[in-house]
Amino acid sequence: MPHHWGMAIDLDRCTGCEACVVACHAENNISTVGEDQAARGRAKHWIRVERYYEGEFPDVKMKFMPVLCQQCDAAPCEPVCPTFASYHTSEGLNGQIYNRCIGTRYCANACPYNVRYFNFYNPEWDKPLNLQLNPDVSVREVGVMEKCTFCIQRIKAAEIQAQAEKRELKDGEVKPACVQSCPPTAMVFGDLNDPNSEVSRLAHSNRGTKLLAELGTLPKVTYLQRDSWHGAENT
Amino acid sequence: MSRFRRGVNSWTRIALIVGILIVAGAFWERALPAAGPDDASKASAQDTGVYTPAHPTVFDAVKEFFNSRPAAVQPIAFTHKVHLANGLQCVNCHTGVDEGPDARIPSVNFCMTCHQVIAKDKPEIKKVAAYRARGEDIPWQRVYGFEPSAHVKFNHAPHIRAGVQCAACHGDMTTQTVAEPKVNLTMGYCVECHQQKKVSVDCVTCHF
Amino acid sequence: MERRDFLKISAAGGAAAALEGCGNPDHHLIRFIPEEDLVPGIATWKPSICTQCPAGCGLLVRVMQGDAEVVRKGQLGILKMGLAKKLEGNPAHPINQGKLCPRGQAGLQVTYHPDRIKGPLTRSGARGSGQFKPVSWDEAMKQLVGQLSALQRGKQESALAILTSPLRGQRKTIVDRFAASFKSSPPVEFGFFDDGVVREANLRSFGVASLPTVDLGQTNYVISFGADFLGTWNSPVAQAIGYGRMRNGRQGQRGKLVQVEPRISQTGASADEWVPSSIGTEGIFALSLANVILQEKLRPSAAAGRAGDAIPGWSQGLGDYAPAKVEKQVGVPAARISRIAREAAANAPAVVLIGDAAVAQSNGLFNAMAVNALNALLGSVGKPGGILFSSPEIVQTGKTASPAKGSAVNDSLLSLVNRINSASDAVKVLMLYGANPVFATPQALGVHDAFEKIPFIASFGSFIDETSAMADLILPDHSPLESWLDDAPPSGSTRTVLSVAEPAMHPLHDTRAMPDVLLDLAHQLGGDLGKALPWKTYDEAIQAEFAALYKEKGTKTAKDADEFWKTTREQGGWWSAEETASPVGAGKAGGAPVKISAPAFDGDASSFPFYFLPFASQLFYDGSLAHLPWMQEAPDPLSTVMWGTWVEINPKTAEKLAIRQGDLVEIASQHGQLRAPALVTPGIAPDVIAMPIGQGHENFTRYATGRGANPISILAPMQVAETNSLAWAATRVKVSAVGHGKLVLFGGSLTEAPAQPR
Repeated sequence: MPHHWGMAIDLDRCTGCEACVVACHAENNISTVGEDQAARGRAKHWIRVERYYEGEFPDVKMKFMPVLCQQCDAAPCEPVCPTFASYHTSEGLNGQIYNRCIGTRYCANACPYNVRYFNFYNPEWDKPLNLQLNPDVSVREVGVMEKCTFCIQRIKAAEIQAQAEKRELKDGEVKPACVQSCPPTAMVFGDLNDPNSEVSRLAHSNRGTKLLAELGTLPKVTYLQRDSWHGAENT
Repeated sequence: MSRFRRGVNSWTRIALIVGILIVAGAFWERALPAAGPDDASKASAQDTGVYTPAHPTVFDAVKEFFNSRPAAVQPIAFTHKVHLANGLQCVNCHTGVDEGPDARIPSVNFCMTCHQVIAKDKPEIKKVAAYRARGEDIPWQRVYGFEPSAHVKFNHAPHIRAGVQCAACHGDMTTQTVAEPKVNLTMGYCVECHQQKKVSVDCVTCHF
Repeated sequence: MERRDFLKISAAGGAAAALEGCGNPDHHLIRFIPEEDLVPGIATWKPSICTQCPAGCGLLVRVMQGDAEVVRKGQLGILKMGLAKKLEGNPAHPINQGKLCPRGQAGLQVTYHPDRIKGPLTRSGARGSGQFKPVSWDEAMKQLVGQLSALQRGKQESALAILTSPLRGQRKTIVDRFAASFKSSPPVEFGFFDDGVVREANLRSFGVASLPTVDLGQTNYVISFGADFLGTWNSPVAQAIGYGRMRNGRQGQRGKLVQVEPRISQTGASADEWVPSSIGTEGIFALSLANVILQEKLRPSAAAGRAGDAIPGWSQGLGDYAPAKVEKQVGVPAARISRIAREAAANAPAVVLIGDAAVAQSNGLFNAMAVNALNALLGSVGKPGGILFSSPEIVQTGKTASPAKGSAVNDSLLSLVNRINSASDAVKVLMLYGANPVFATPQALGVHDAFEKIPFIASFGSFIDETSAMADLILPDHSPLESWLDDAPPSGSTRTVLSVAEPAMHPLHDTRAMPDVLLDLAHQLGGDLGKALPWKTYDEAIQAEFAALYKEKGTKTAKDADEFWKTTREQGGWWSAEETASPVGAGKAGGAPVKISAPAFDGDASSFPFYFLPFASQLFYDGSLAHLPWMQEAPDPLSTVMWGTWVEINPKTAEKLAIRQGDLVEIASQHGQLRAPALVTPGIAPDVIAMPIGQGHENFTRYATGRGANPISILAPMQVAETNSLAWAATRVKVSAVGHGKLVLFGGSLTEAPAQPR
């Protein structure tokens, strides 16, 4: 059975620290756009940490929520692409094929999660910052849409390695950059087709919810909602 | 389609207008991709202190668009034919090809491990020795490879493990002196083989 | 005709006509012979140590072959070399266990920064003008040797001052020994967040002058007074790992986090309960909690031991701190105080933390010692699920420990400034490494003006910043990834940790490791210096330390010192197999009880109505990371601000002052003013104005220079009582709107409201 990659994010563990955000920049050759472009909403963060306030001083509650491409199984971004640059891969990912992309930005309009980012300019790195670029990942040029790939390069590398060693991938062997960095282990990645994987177990947690599930996009990221403290009864 | 057929003249005119627009646009912003991250010599030709996938000039962009790459001129007239005839295998020099994505192009030190002794009086070997004496590596030019804008992440090792012969993509090197692009590595060429061997032709197999 | 052909023809027609003859002159750089043998496309992983903050996390550096433009023997060329491509946590390292925070991830950009100093420089313009010209290492060393031997000749050795960031390991040993045998004035360590007050409090309460390791993974109840322990305080990655376990890593057992602070920090945002208490009353709050526990006989007062004895009135039950009596002062209802006290006592193990602004008060030492006593009362000191201290004797193996200096750090900077101002020839040469006090001290302290008076300043830093811009000579250090490193982090793990790392990559530029330069300097000066520093190089010094460690600790795990050295390097360091954190009390008695006092503030409440609360930036730490573009463009976790700074204001306060989100506001203290855009947020008390530290650099690379404002600059030069640390959260300010500001918020967010938490 092919893999069906998915992720679970435990909001009870997430501390909003942004380690995932910077890890993603480093891994995926995401260029910084500078203050002026950032002010025009053109900063590219394949994963971002959203935060929500509730209540007024002094009874304020906050929560963090990392949002990345949900790799929907019924993805609104896919059918709108006129060049099939955005399509569903055999392992259930929302592929983004840069050399097919002609920059219509229809997919970004269709995406309810706002996780697609457009290259309004060619990316630039002041030398020698370009030496940090990851040779396993394309550098996207102007006019191309980009988004989270679940670190497809890491998935491919692990699959090729497992194939060379004539074995199956182990659960937890593939870790996207965000998952690998996450200090409180709020993020878990794995194969949803494997009923014994950690991510499958978490996907069925009773705290599990899908982001904007009512839209019927069938996201593959499960959010485990903040838990509450159960010790109050003891006091 | 007949509704859209026009005369040659009008096509030329449209082509000209669109062309001018493209050129103007290209000057407006630095356009279109070119040098890859590891193509430092190319990028430094017009050093602005900034690395960008943009082509240095529109002309470069056009050349790439037409797949026109100047034939690589090698600094040494290296002869694959002779080396292979003397019993060397591809992987003896292009090590790493069965381990990972790329094959090594040997450094001058590697050449000199043999040529310290063998054929050291030949003019081309003297050139090699001179490079080393100057502390320079031989600036070999790339023969095969994909433009960065193709966004292809090719990995040699799995192909070799699958028993694909080097010659399948690089031509018969026993007949070549300096390597020439004998095989046109188009996507069709890749896909055909993948289909024959029942390997995935999913886009993200190669493009990411 | 197909679309593709059409495009090709149209492009060809226009472009070819317009560009005929516009070729690309191919001047190719020469290629140098590679110095290392790497397989292209294959990553190797090398252990290293993160130096972005003092936590001392272990790294694995992903190294791959690439083409770098380098200068070799004066010629520019291309070198195929191993390049660091990504930093990950080292899974074998006991502190960060394979995890890494955003600041650590961005360490890569230090090495590849375009404004890194590429070789030795001497000043060519007026001091501070930023004009330097390159010199050779020989010439640079000659200058420095000349300056130092002139001091020796004039018997003015003490006119050499050495100012560094807080150092550990052999780097520190080399600096200290150099200073001692040169007979310079004692080296000064300066870091804005040096936690000197917490160290001093721990020395007095527990006999250990270090930061604790917090065993969050096994705790059931956490009360944190101001300590942003999931953000920047102490060992944030280790603490975040423990926090994840505490929250949802144990079956059916979830700990509670109560965060007490007047402005929601990143840690406060994750808390189950946020308690905004009045600024500076944390100690009183802690004693009130203790009072409830004692009054209700939940724990015996003797349980607090010496930490309790250090609090006046402890054994009498702290009747003055009954919740009803202090609720007004603390700003938290008595019932809530009592409930939190009962919850903490009933949910052992519970742990109480204090740090950041809560100790940067005039009464900060009292606040910290009150928390220490409460911790001891709860039985959480030296116990699983509580705070633990690494046994100092073991960390001192190989003389690597940071000595128990308490608050000596800021004291020394202050005394250095005083000494410079006392006499014109008191300090003639300053050697500067890693510290940037011109940025990170209040202008009122006059560091800049004092340094102007020093005749000769040599800097070993990799970047020009506000302080090193005043240097006469710059001898740039390698980047951490290019250098040997060793470290002995005192907190973050219950095991003893001695990290070591060889260079992960060859140097990109013409730089030399600072310890190597000091050793070279010592040997050139000769005499006692050469004897005190017997090693030729820094790595020799590290190896000597590990040879000593082998004799003491390694004989069971390795057959000889060489094998021990090899395996520790491959692993990224040595760590004890067992938990070595010891119950405290072994140290000497703590000394005088602390004086209990209410917080005092600079500026009177009528003309300066707001408390000014600077806070550590999650991305820039103390400002030393503001030069990294990844840090600039990453949105701040709470505000989502990018590439700038902001001032946090409560909505009610903003309404009263007619300030809207994004308005430029002026913040004025008695000591200066600054301007920044307003960010209106409910997570802050109405009488508090908060601002992140990190921006406002006047001179710190192309990415940070002239960006935002520096809250430190307008602080009062106020000290924490009974220490000489800066009370950096004890300044009052006034606020007024002055126009339109620029606030760059990360626009990307959901188009519809997300599912609400259950």
